[in-house]
Amino acid sequence: MSSALDLTGVPCPLNWVRTKLALERMRAGEELRVLLDPGEPLASVPRSAREDGHEVRVEGTTVVIVRR
Amino acid sequence: MSLNEEEIERYSRQLALPEWSGEAQERLKSASAIVIGLGALGSPAATYLVAAGVGRVGVVDPDPVELSNLSRQPLHFTPDIEQGKAESAAAKLSFINPNVQVDPYPARVEEDNAEAIVMGADVVVDCTDSFETRYVVNDACCAQRVPLVEGGVLGLSGQVMSIRPGESACYRCAFPTAPPEGSVPACRDAGVLGPVAGVVGSIQALEALKLLTGFAEPLTDRILQIDEGGIARTLVRTSRLEGCPACARVPAAPQSP
Repeated sequence: MSSALDLTGVPCPLNWVRTKLALERMRAGEELRVLLDPGEPLASVPRSAREDGHEVRVEGTTVVIVRR
Repeated sequence: MSLNEEEIERYSRQLALPEWSGEAQERLKSASAIVIGLGALGSPAATYLVAAGVGRVGVVDPDPVELSNLSRQPLHFTPDIEQGKAESAAAKLSFINPNVQVDPYPARVEEDNAEAIVMGADVVVDCTDSFETRYVVNDACCAQRVPLVEGGVLGLSGQVMSIRPGESACYRCAFPTAPPEGSVPACRDAGVLGPVAGVVGSIQALEALKLLTGFAEPLTDRILQIDEGGIARTLVRTSRLEGCPACARVPAAPQSP
């Protein structure tokens, strides 16, 4: 299962908070696709997700997070 | 109890903490806290609990605001002098966070009303300044199995301890008897510096958040001793007292988070 979040225009750290809350409602192994602004959001959100132990890959301005 | 958009933004800085979660925030939203005493400790304690999003906060104090309170009790303003502290505090707290139901109780906590006041709360924060009241609050929380955060400040020193009745040392276990009258100066004789009480009251709020959400280990079976105005800190171990008249026969509360 996969869900998507469009967080363009949402600044740090609110974008990470929204991502984190979405991940909290998902099951392990499920995929979340997060659309982010380039710059700080795209640099910061994947790092936070990795630090929380999720699997992360970046495709352009979309961050794909597999919930741990 | 899920969070709406306004709440997600309002609480975003605590939600961003790795130790915190949406679940912790929702738990807080459905919780109720009672802050007893709205002075130098109760001002920061109640402020942080309301700001953090505890669903219901009861604020208890029988006294009016006095001029001499204002140097260390930041919930009360100069125009509030002679107004009741409970009402004065509730008005400010509702401005800080209108999502929280703030209930003012202009009552003195005594043996005959203490259990009724703490009943049903998920945590009580004791911010009073007399040993007598602390024992009354402790005994009521033990009888009602309500987790309690005790705190006190005197001069540049202070103490905080958290209590899970039936599981960890209660205030009476740690301090079986009050110091003899006269050996400890009453607060108003000894002097208090606002920011020192602010440190203690803030730690009390932090402990209450731990007890309500389980996001970190509370100061149970330990007393945090604060000296030099908050710069020096020591943890003193304590444990349940066999035959404690307040908590020995209290069964452990159903495990909260």
